[in-house]
Amino acid sequence: MGGLQTDAELVGRALAGSDAAFSRLIERHQAAVRGFLRRMLGGGWAEADDVAQETFLAAWGALRSLKEPAGVRAWLCGIAWRKAQDRIRSSRRSAARDTVWLEMVETPAGVSPEDRISVAAAMAELPPDVRACVALCLADGWSHAEASAALGLPLGTVKSHVARGRARLLKALGGPDDA
Amino acid sequence: MTPEQKLSALFAAEAPPARDYVFQARMAEAIALRRAWMTVAALVPWAVAAIAILWALIPVVGPMSDSLGSALQPAAAMLAGAAVTTVAALWLARRFGRGIRTPFSAR
Repeated sequence: MGGLQTDAELVGRALAGSDAAFSRLIERHQAAVRGFLRRMLGGGWAEADDVAQETFLAAWGALRSLKEPAGVRAWLCGIAWRKAQDRIRSSRRSAARDTVWLEMVETPAGVSPEDRISVAAAMAELPPDVRACVALCLADGWSHAEASAALGLPLGTVKSHVARGRARLLKALGGPDDA
Repeated sequence: MTPEQKLSALFAAEAPPARDYVFQARMAEAIALRRAWMTVAALVPWAVAAIAILWALIPVVGPMSDSLGSALQPAAAMLAGAAVTTVAALWLARRFGRGIRTPFSAR
């Protein structure tokens, strides 16, 4: 039923009380939101998934405030961004625990575990707003304008954050230092 | 592999699956729980209002209950009889009506 409905149609049905429509929105956007949070929060993915759950619950409660139903993905990532900022501010994150977890995770072919740990450390050192821009634009392929709308940052700031973050991460992988 | 390719591979390795039924089931459960709590919260003011009204009516209804009790007894007996008859009629209609309706629904 309704397999090819647009986001705007699903939002309309969810606003009318359909939990099935909201479930379809979750199915469609969970990968984007969870991927963004995994890169934002680093460490174990369970924490990112907890924040993703909080994000979708907050979105369910605030669906009426969504002004542009077609832009639901950017709106969800905006909520996720604010939740992640709260989590970063409040949590006592353990670098040692994150490193242990990274050593357990399988690395992609051609990448050494050391590279993975170096990139994770470089990501963790980036300021949260730079990390958010890198997560959306470099990792997920969002345009600078989309990221700017989702994060509520000026377009020029997003561009400079992406360039700076990219240079730092490449340097951690042995690339040139052109930051 | 160039640093650029390594970075892309690492980002790709972090991407969650496009479909994750476990996550979706967790979300459905969380939303159902939130909806249940919201329903309970919405009923609380009505329950408080009903209790307040009943409490306010105690001085009025209390003295009447003794005299009304004997007058309402026949009416209550008739209502109980009607309720039993209705339940029995519904049960009989369902019990025997199924056999009658089947050939029509099967057409």
